[in-house]
Amino acid sequence: MSSLYFDHAASAPRRPEVLEAMLPWTTGVVGNPAGTHSAARRARRAIEDARDEVADFLGVTPTNTLFTAGGTESCHLAIAGTVQRFRRSHANTSVVVSAFEHHAVLTSAELMESLFDDVTTRLMPVGADGCIELDSLTSLVDASTAVVSVMAVNNETGIIQPLEALRARLDDLGTTTLVHTDAIAAAPWMDVALSTASAHLISLCAHKLGGPVNAGALGLRDATIEAVVPGGAQERGLRGGTVDVAAAVGLAMACRLTRHERVANSAHCRELQVRLQKAMTAVEGVSVTGESVERVPGTVHLLISGVSSDEVLFLLDQAGVSASAGAACSSGATSASHVMTAMGVRPELARGSLRLSMGGETTHDDVDALASILTGVIARLRPSA
Amino acid sequence: MSGGVDSSVAAGILRDQGHDVVGATLKLWGGASDSGCCSVSDVDDARRVAQVLGIDHHVFNYTDEFDQFVVEPFVADHAAGLTPNPCIECNRHIKFDLLFERAERLGFDAVATGHHAQILEVEGRPFLSRGADPQKDQSYVLGYLTEPILRRLLLPIGHLTKEQVRQEAERLGLRTWNKPDSQDVCFIEASKGREAFLSSRLTLTPATVYDRVSGDVVGHAPAAELVTLGQRRGIAAGIDGERRYVTKVDIGQRRVEVDRLETIYVQSALLDATSLTYSYDPLVDGQQLCVQWSAHGRSLLATLSLKGECRLDFSEEIRPIAPGQSVVFYREDEPSVVLGAAVVTR
Repeated sequence: MSSLYFDHAASAPRRPEVLEAMLPWTTGVVGNPAGTHSAARRARRAIEDARDEVADFLGVTPTNTLFTAGGTESCHLAIAGTVQRFRRSHANTSVVVSAFEHHAVLTSAELMESLFDDVTTRLMPVGADGCIELDSLTSLVDASTAVVSVMAVNNETGIIQPLEALRARLDDLGTTTLVHTDAIAAAPWMDVALSTASAHLISLCAHKLGGPVNAGALGLRDATIEAVVPGGAQERGLRGGTVDVAAAVGLAMACRLTRHERVANSAHCRELQVRLQKAMTAVEGVSVTGESVERVPGTVHLLISGVSSDEVLFLLDQAGVSASAGAACSSGATSASHVMTAMGVRPELARGSLRLSMGGETTHDDVDALASILTGVIARLRPSA
Repeated sequence: MSGGVDSSVAAGILRDQGHDVVGATLKLWGGASDSGCCSVSDVDDARRVAQVLGIDHHVFNYTDEFDQFVVEPFVADHAAGLTPNPCIECNRHIKFDLLFERAERLGFDAVATGHHAQILEVEGRPFLSRGADPQKDQSYVLGYLTEPILRRLLLPIGHLTKEQVRQEAERLGLRTWNKPDSQDVCFIEASKGREAFLSSRLTLTPATVYDRVSGDVVGHAPAAELVTLGQRRGIAAGIDGERRYVTKVDIGQRRVEVDRLETIYVQSALLDATSLTYSYDPLVDGQQLCVQWSAHGRSLLATLSLKGECRLDFSEEIRPIAPGQSVVFYREDEPSVVLGAAVVTR
């Protein structure tokens, strides 16, 4: 049976160079970087080297680059850390998040609202084209707004969000709100420093870049936050807990490799994207989400009429294809995607969602094989006329 | 695979018999439940059992369908003063309809469940029969299955007692071996109960309780929708000191009537003719049947009438069967074999 991996957006293949960089920090004596002896200094040195690399990737200063245990923590620190601080000087606090943010952001905002009576969460609507509706800002944002959170690229559709225009609108409105962007789905494909230059808080994680899981970073640009886990005041007192040297080094190596390969990978995957879309839209009742708007090259999100994703994924799995319907629920079931709901996709069509995501090692042959298998699966599952 | 011990062992038995087995857990309820939000801990148990058995495991999401075919009708039936059995509806509409269709599309020859019931083959035809453990027999909730379904259904643990199932699970090293049996409706939290659940979906109707004979007001019921015919619980004793039982519920009139035990007995039940389902051969007028009217209740001989009203006449008096409940028919001469089922209207 063939093995076709089309789920890079869930977790990208781990890079051997990352393992090599991490290995010295995974066995034997690894000093606590907060210590004073030579082993501690070596660990601290490795962390600061890693911080320089990640800071460069994010386009913020090393001082403003915090290591976290992954993307979810980065997003929560951005939202909760901002809200906690803002509340100290404001009677009312609002958080504006786009309706199709990752759950890392959505549930963090919901938690703030449920914990604090003076905090409200406002959902920013998304258009049928898969982009945030900027006009809604006028009614959503006011003096109580602590942070506006919009992802740089939607993780299910791959659609690029207008962050610069967002910031321009906010400036026009004269607000002082911070802007957080979850840059995790953008990071493999876009120059993060450039494309998120208008944001104050930028979340990143390593495993979408071929690095380890439980490794992430939050970049700050003219933003002040409070710690969510204060602990021993590591990371400038903004993120307590001993910094994991191996994770930081792994994240840094993943960032470095991504920077080097991004242009070539993007060009390669753009070809694959066009090829896959062409093959799949030749099948009746198959459409590409966001075909007319700007997307990253690695993702093809399909809506397949007359089938259910559960069944498509089952048969793809049997044929050796790894793919997903979108983000997975904690029970492991595919559920109606809040991204599709936010975009106003009809439920009967949304149930046939399929996200196929690729990377640098994906080949033309892989795409052709996938297209052939998927075409067969769709034909098999559709009720015969 | 529900995450319980029965379906765990069913999968293990099939694997050992050499079948190519894939475990499927149906995610049915998206709200709060006794096993956590979205029943995550049950799914985790099922997944872990599949891993230990070395079989693939998939989670199928039927939350929308479950709401449509099971939960909404459950609420609507209560609103209409009926006493529904959601497990029967789930079996009919989800497990033995949607899941069977899906299994066929995905290329499976058969679907197996961990129900305590058996399929006996007689002259090439599959017959549904009671499980070997009389305490755990679940043939009642499978009463609406018909021959085409029975032909593709496997019930691998039906010949075992619950104790034997647990021993087998322990032998296989499955972590569900000592997991307590599920007792209640899966979408209702035991600590909150039916009333809390229903009140989240409909406005419950307070009612006045009258003594049927004297006409006196003898109490109040917070929700007429939750009062069942024949019920004693929560009903105050009469002035004579004897217990009273519900004889009539009228939600529209906000009225519940109660009377003494000996007055509530009946000897027949009317059936919804459109619900009448037979497993193999059509049931005929005047047929003698063994009838069971609750999941683990007793069964009793009755005669089925199909001319005019669809009716059952029991061989002795019984407490009234609440409208909305199902009766399941077993063979008179072989009372472990299921023949069909129907819904009681009155």
